[in-house]
Amino acid sequence: MTSFPTAPALSRRTLLRGGLAGAGLLSLAACRSAADTAAGQATGDAAGPRRGGVLTVGTGVDFTPALLFAQSANTLVQRLVFNTLTRYDDKLQPQPELATSWQVAADGASVTLKLREDVTFHSGRRFTADDVVFAVKNLQNPARSAQLRSTATAVTDFRKNGDFELTLVLAHPVSNLFDLFEFMIVPDSETVEEAFAGTKLIGTGPYTFTERKPGSSITFARNEKYWNPGRPYLDGVEIRVVPQAESLLSSLKTGQTHLSYSIRGKDIATLRSDPQFRITPYDTGSGAYYIGANLTAEHVSDKRVRQAIAWAVDRERLVEQALGGYGTVSATPWPKSSPAYSAEAAGHYRHDPERARQLLKDAGLTGISLPFAHSNDPGNTAVAQILQYDLKQVGIETVLQPTDSPTMQKQLIAQSMPALWTLSHGFAQLHPATLAVSAYPFNEAKNSSRFSSPAYTDIVQRAWQRPDSDSPEAKALYGRITDVLLDEQFVIDLAIAGLTEVAVGKARGATLNKFGYLNLDDAYLTA
Amino acid sequence: MRTFLLKRLPSALLVLLLASFLVFLILRLIPGDPATSLAGPDAGPAAVSAIRAQLGLDRPLFGQYLHWLGQLLTGDLGPSYAIGGQVADLITDGLGATAQLTAAALLLVVLIALPLGVLGATARRRPVGAAVRAFTTAVLAVPPFVTGVLLVLLFAVTLGLLPAGGHESLLDAPDLALQYLLLPAVCLALPSAAVLARYLTDGIERALAEDYVRTATAVGVSRRRIVWRHALPNALPSAVTVLGLQIGHLVAGAVLVERIFAWPGLGQLVEQGVLRRDYPVVQDLLLLIVAVYVTVQLLTDLVYAWLDPRIRWE
Repeated sequence: MTSFPTAPALSRRTLLRGGLAGAGLLSLAACRSAADTAAGQATGDAAGPRRGGVLTVGTGVDFTPALLFAQSANTLVQRLVFNTLTRYDDKLQPQPELATSWQVAADGASVTLKLREDVTFHSGRRFTADDVVFAVKNLQNPARSAQLRSTATAVTDFRKNGDFELTLVLAHPVSNLFDLFEFMIVPDSETVEEAFAGTKLIGTGPYTFTERKPGSSITFARNEKYWNPGRPYLDGVEIRVVPQAESLLSSLKTGQTHLSYSIRGKDIATLRSDPQFRITPYDTGSGAYYIGANLTAEHVSDKRVRQAIAWAVDRERLVEQALGGYGTVSATPWPKSSPAYSAEAAGHYRHDPERARQLLKDAGLTGISLPFAHSNDPGNTAVAQILQYDLKQVGIETVLQPTDSPTMQKQLIAQSMPALWTLSHGFAQLHPATLAVSAYPFNEAKNSSRFSSPAYTDIVQRAWQRPDSDSPEAKALYGRITDVLLDEQFVIDLAIAGLTEVAVGKARGATLNKFGYLNLDDAYLTA
Repeated sequence: MRTFLLKRLPSALLVLLLASFLVFLILRLIPGDPATSLAGPDAGPAAVSAIRAQLGLDRPLFGQYLHWLGQLLTGDLGPSYAIGGQVADLITDGLGATAQLTAAALLLVVLIALPLGVLGATARRRPVGAAVRAFTTAVLAVPPFVTGVLLVLLFAVTLGLLPAGGHESLLDAPDLALQYLLLPAVCLALPSAAVLARYLTDGIERALAEDYVRTATAVGVSRRRIVWRHALPNALPSAVTVLGLQIGHLVAGAVLVERIFAWPGLGQLVEQGVLRRDYPVVQDLLLLIVAVYVTVQLLTDLVYAWLDPRIRWE
């Protein structure tokens, strides 16, 4: 039997090893902590805005430079580096930004803008009316894939009156002109192609672009020559890309990230009772969940089948289980802030399986089977499974078709979707005409459902081609658009879930515009 | 040797050419294309057509293929479609980050496996040995995405010792960079360390059963000296072979670990490239992998030929 030796006496070698290990531990202890550094250093107290500090914003989706001029899954960069002409307040009224005042002609055929005279680009070049002309022409280029291109192309001529006054001449009146001014960032004409490639971003905004590490982070520093006096408060901003949902949540919990708009509804629900976090829902971004129907497909070409689907869905359960309670049940696309919103219309379709079965019976159908495409990410898969269950209860079997995003987009644009699909759409948070002329699912001229109706086209064009957007006549037209949508159900709206801000307590003052552009002019970090 | 090389080189180049054609074709066969991906969900056909024209995707396929080959031959890989920046820069940065992560994980594999392997063999009948076996079994059974989340929960969320994810440059801030590196490297290293530890344990146990060990014990050589100076060196060759195989697993595993810890390596780059149909990024990366394999194969053939003249004369 072999016995193991007893512990040897302390040799020089052991002593040396111990000393080195101790020194190593001491060195580690003396190092900066990445966890603390990432969480940021306190720069003030909660009493009010304080200058300094770097705000870290977490996002699940990296910035796509080629979508700089479009609304996309990541619109955090636009309003940090650039400015828009105007910005909406909570009541959808335009407020000055690069344009200080504006005058729409009585016939709606032109708008005259007065521009700020104290604005320079980050390159040092002075901002003038020529830059607005360039910005509009930039959006008219179809390769920019700007969703408001139809409104931009309504601008047919530019009349300059000096460097800081400009008249935009329109082909016809447009009711959503200020949607364009909220959407259109003003880029530097000399570096726009570099901006489009993501290598150089030069604007007039509160932060200057410092560095981009694709797939990892983008950093910005304070623009010391920003036209808004005393702003911004922050020394800089870091947008950190964290694709894994659980990791993004962890980075918020550790304070490594101060702010995020990419936290899933069900994860937000777990933070609701934690006083460390502030949760703010917005009705912006692409957040209305819907079922799309291909009107050329068997069975769903019948309007009664589409209406049956609308009655079959338990929207409350969908919001509770798939969105963590962060959403509003609605049969129409309009959020409450929209001039087209009507509580009655939003509640038009409720969960009524019996009525759905009756409609299917009226259509002479029992036990039908339909293909049902959905985006293959976990969130949308959960939504599709809930819908599949609801439809099964009324006798509609669905075959789920998980599809990756580029494939789905190609099918949407090529009008080759299966009978049913579920996705989310944006643009309902703006003036209602924008939805029907700029969001492809609703586009009156060409849409994924292959729905066309002279009556729909007529109402949409009349709502769009008018100088005002809030008059009783305009609202009556919005009501008629809603009536068509509710009756035809080529897009079956389910729930509205805009972006939700989750911020740690020390991060204050961040806001989003109607397109989800992150505005950090007034943001600051407290102690 | 020169003649041998001249014989083998054309076939290697032919393999590369065929691989480039296959890579190019397979990417185009995947549904969806960069233009629709870039245009976004609300875009209309006009936007997609304009983007297709801008990217040159409206040209005939063979023309696109020749254009890509031209870029490869001139060394200018061109810009990325969707991710942004130059493809060469993206690949260089990604390669650096993945190499950093893999190297750190490899070091940890050795540091973890060596003591565990020795302990597993020397304390086989004691609770410590059972604990080692339980640990290696558990680490092998739990997938890295679970290990990663658990590590983040413990060290980042609960203890607040390490960051939950991210990356810092080793050159700019080495102290922070090491802290960012630690959790992903541990997560990546654990399964390979468990495999290596088990091989080491087996190897050491076999060596300890040899006659020379009995003789050494009989003449009074200490147990520690027998294990570290005699049994372990005998177990190492097979362990080194296993370690070599594990390097492949580490590189493959890095794809998943990079996603969990937001580590900007090649894994993330491939994923982003495929998801956004960024053809230049994906096809250059895939061809790079093929080129590495072809080069290694060619070098292996050369070494064999150098070692064995009969191969040169065949």
